[in-house]
Amino acid sequence: MFSRQTIIAFIALVLLAALGLYVGTYTIYLLNLAMIAVIAAVGLNLLTGNSGQISLSHSSFMAIGAYVSALLSARYGVPFWAAIPTAAAVAALIGAALGFPASRLHGIYLALATLGFLQIVQIVIEEFADITGGVRGMRVPKPAWFGAMLLNEYEIFLVVAVSCVFAVWSATNILASSYGRDMNAVRLSPHAAQALGVAVARVKLGAFALSAVYAGVAGGLLAMVVGFIDPIEFGVSAALRQITYIVVGGMGSVAGSVIGAVVLSGLPEVLRPVREYSDVIYTGILLAFLLFMPHGLVSIWDAARLSLRRALARSFAK
Amino acid sequence: MKRILSILAGAAVAVVPAMAAAQQQGVTADTIKIGAYGPITGPAAYIGLAGRDGMNLAIKEINAAGGINGRKITVVFEDDAHSPTRALAAVKKLVEQDQVFAIMSVAGSNATVGTIDYVRDKGAVMYVSIASAPPVTWPFARNLFRGGTTETARYGELYAEYLATNAKNKRIAIMHGREEYPRNEGDATVDKLKNWFQIDPVARVEFNINDKDFTSQLIQVQKANPDVIAFFGNPAEAAIAMRQARELGIKQPFFVGSNMVDPSLVTAARANAEGVTGFSLIPFLPGANSPEMKQWEANWRKEYPNAPAGRPNNFDLLAYGDMHVLAEGMRRAGKNLTTDSLIKGLEGIKDYRVGPVATPRTFSDKHHIGNLTLVPMQVKGGSWEPVQWQSKRQSDILSRYK
Amino acid sequence: MTATLAFQLAIAGISVGSIYALVALAVVIPFKASGVLNFGQGEMVTAGAYIALVLTTLALPYAVVFLLVVLVGAIGGIVIERALIRPIIRAPEFTVVIATFAIGLLIKGAIQLRFGDSPAAIDGPFGMDPLLVAGLRFNPTSVWIFVCMLLVTFAVIAFFKYTRLGKAMRAVSINAEAARLMGIRVESVWRWAWGISTAIGAVAGLLVAPVIGVNPEIGTLILRGLVAAVIGGFTSVPGAIIGGLAVGLIETFSGVIVGSTFKNLVPFIILMLLLVFRPYGLFGVAVAKRV
Repeated sequence: MFSRQTIIAFIALVLLAALGLYVGTYTIYLLNLAMIAVIAAVGLNLLTGNSGQISLSHSSFMAIGAYVSALLSARYGVPFWAAIPTAAAVAALIGAALGFPASRLHGIYLALATLGFLQIVQIVIEEFADITGGVRGMRVPKPAWFGAMLLNEYEIFLVVAVSCVFAVWSATNILASSYGRDMNAVRLSPHAAQALGVAVARVKLGAFALSAVYAGVAGGLLAMVVGFIDPIEFGVSAALRQITYIVVGGMGSVAGSVIGAVVLSGLPEVLRPVREYSDVIYTGILLAFLLFMPHGLVSIWDAARLSLRRALARSFAK
Repeated sequence: MKRILSILAGAAVAVVPAMAAAQQQGVTADTIKIGAYGPITGPAAYIGLAGRDGMNLAIKEINAAGGINGRKITVVFEDDAHSPTRALAAVKKLVEQDQVFAIMSVAGSNATVGTIDYVRDKGAVMYVSIASAPPVTWPFARNLFRGGTTETARYGELYAEYLATNAKNKRIAIMHGREEYPRNEGDATVDKLKNWFQIDPVARVEFNINDKDFTSQLIQVQKANPDVIAFFGNPAEAAIAMRQARELGIKQPFFVGSNMVDPSLVTAARANAEGVTGFSLIPFLPGANSPEMKQWEANWRKEYPNAPAGRPNNFDLLAYGDMHVLAEGMRRAGKNLTTDSLIKGLEGIKDYRVGPVATPRTFSDKHHIGNLTLVPMQVKGGSWEPVQWQSKRQSDILSRYK
Repeated sequence: MTATLAFQLAIAGISVGSIYALVALAVVIPFKASGVLNFGQGEMVTAGAYIALVLTTLALPYAVVFLLVVLVGAIGGIVIERALIRPIIRAPEFTVVIATFAIGLLIKGAIQLRFGDSPAAIDGPFGMDPLLVAGLRFNPTSVWIFVCMLLVTFAVIAFFKYTRLGKAMRAVSINAEAARLMGIRVESVWRWAWGISTAIGAVAGLLVAPVIGVNPEIGTLILRGLVAAVIGGFTSVPGAIIGGLAVGLIETFSGVIVGSTFKNLVPFIILMLLLVFRPYGLFGVAVAKRV
């Protein structure tokens, strides 16, 4: 039989698909961006929230996904359903390559290594302009099923929705697996995990590669949805934006990734009246959560559920 | 999982677009609603903030003078944060949710390019004031117009002609940054120097964005012993390079790209900026000694009394001039204002400008490049002043629009 | 490469390197004392440059401007430490790293809102005419930066060696809990470590403003400063200085040797290689992890 997660994922997908039929293309575009943000946040949260490794280069793996898939489709006419998985695989390989030294580093040294990696990816995109378009960016061909059979707006939306639901579903299952438990153990105490027989270095390296897959898919989808990519889109401010998603949503929680990404993707709409200040407000929110609500929005829900359960238990006990 | 579901569904509160009205979208009996976008946050906020303010000043003047054929202009402005992704969201919102009649871009090049495919498909007029990206005007699209800024190739033509003929320079050194805009300026200038005047630069060196030291490049330039140094980059970089050049004993004059022909170069480089030449997209720069300019600045300051230092800048003026051009197109479209009549109205514009603070614009049904005129300027006594010089060569730019 | 060219490049390298060295120093001090790496330090440099700009327009003498910049920088750091860093000092390192990033961005955002993006400039204390010595040209401000950098370095070394607070700081950096048991007020050490480091950052801003101009992007110096700190091993004051000068020299010379295409990559490739093979730098010592 199907697990509870799988059934919920199916229902979510059906509801999203139905929703897409009723809204205009502007709303569809915003939904696409939000779902792409969710995929990226889910991947980052596995790495940072669960396995406890700081990464300031998550957006670079999005860049790798975006540029590899865009180049595959622009230069070789590879259809999106082959280009994006290939791009994600490339991101995973590079993620593993970075994870290899990174698994020996911790804390600020890891922050520095990933920051250095982000700079290198940025410079490589800018310097190899003949391939990547450099700073002036690169137009991405419209996605095709085969040859000239292009996807329409709604079909693109469905592809993003399926990817997003699959990302959430897979991350939930990974966390429920023994590998997920190992990741959390490595975060809580690498020494204890080691003593209990967890292969700490392998878990850390795996988390880097895994999170790169999510970022790679998110990048590939972004290139497809927007149709134009440039390096600024994947710079350090993008990396910090993704960190803000998981901090605000809730570290180490798949639900937190989803909440954070969706809420903050919608934030520019709310901030419209004060938009000149929106950068500062955004950063202020990040800092406020770090200081005052380190477990994110999801902790409100957890606390509410707990007290509800207690109240119910009490009323039944009477 | 359940909570994820409810959040996903809840976040996507359906915004059903209003039914398309029978008449032209964004135009009512007494209003014309236009949309505009540009970066007012992020790394290029100085472009969008100025573009927005200059445009709004023009709209205020137009409405105060009775509007356009009895209709007042209203504007919805969206921030793109200098990101193509956000720019596309902004334009989709303007077209589908705000139902605007036409769009004014006061955005940078990449953000504008990110919207082009969509705008082409939708067919609404997009008038681009500041972005110089080639895809705006080529391949030709009936609904895309470029106003105050011009084609990169045109910079190359004018720079090359001025450098080679005005000062009779034979030995020209070129320094340029590695970003899109300065690199394009460098390429275009080298190309035209070669094709038109058979001059190869005696030195060509590159530098990186945010470089703080130009010694190695300047030493190469110095060795080539040029008559003039053409520098393409941004004012902060130019200020450092010019100071270091003087320190190294390089006495040759500097020529700078059009984005640096701006009061900020003088603020940053001060005494070292004296005598620098370059081309401007507008006939006078803010701070120039011209009565028209002083009057315009006074009007601007009345509208924005709390502006930060360095404003109004060139982008205020560009967007101001271009909003008046777009309005003139609407005026010529007549009472029956539709996308089609606006395009025809704009295409009828020949050498139109709102006043001496703008350069004239010309469009035709063959090409939508509004401006091929740049004004040579020189820093004299701490401000940019026009130099008497006329281009004598026919531009090659329009030859492909037949 | 002629000798004159090499000398001129070396002068340029040491000039920018001195700036990187000061930033690296400002990064190393609070790290030594509290294990916190301040990724927002670049914005303290920017803030210092803008404070200097504002004070200079008030026509104050340079010495007064200098002292006020030190004072405002120190107070800023002490306030930030008390209000924003102290509450999360025991949180996971991730929280602290991201918080310092956020503080930097807030400072930069505030500067951009107040001053806009257009560049400005201020004069150096000794004018801008180059000094000619033995056929080589020196920028007087660069010489002044180099001298200040050396003075700051010696002051910091002497401070750690001879003052009570400096010794306490070293004790706290080795083991905060043991230091606390010995009667050292660890909180006070943290406070002064931040105050001193942000004051150095702000002074760096004041010093570099005549050379690189005043604009909101000055803070990107932090990247080079971090590379310098990594070369120096993050715990060594002389290491940070040598690291800073090394990055400056590598940059100017690599521009000539490998071309500007790879000039930008070089510092980051060095950073990655060091982190992989010598994570505690060329001068640092492996420290026990803060638990």
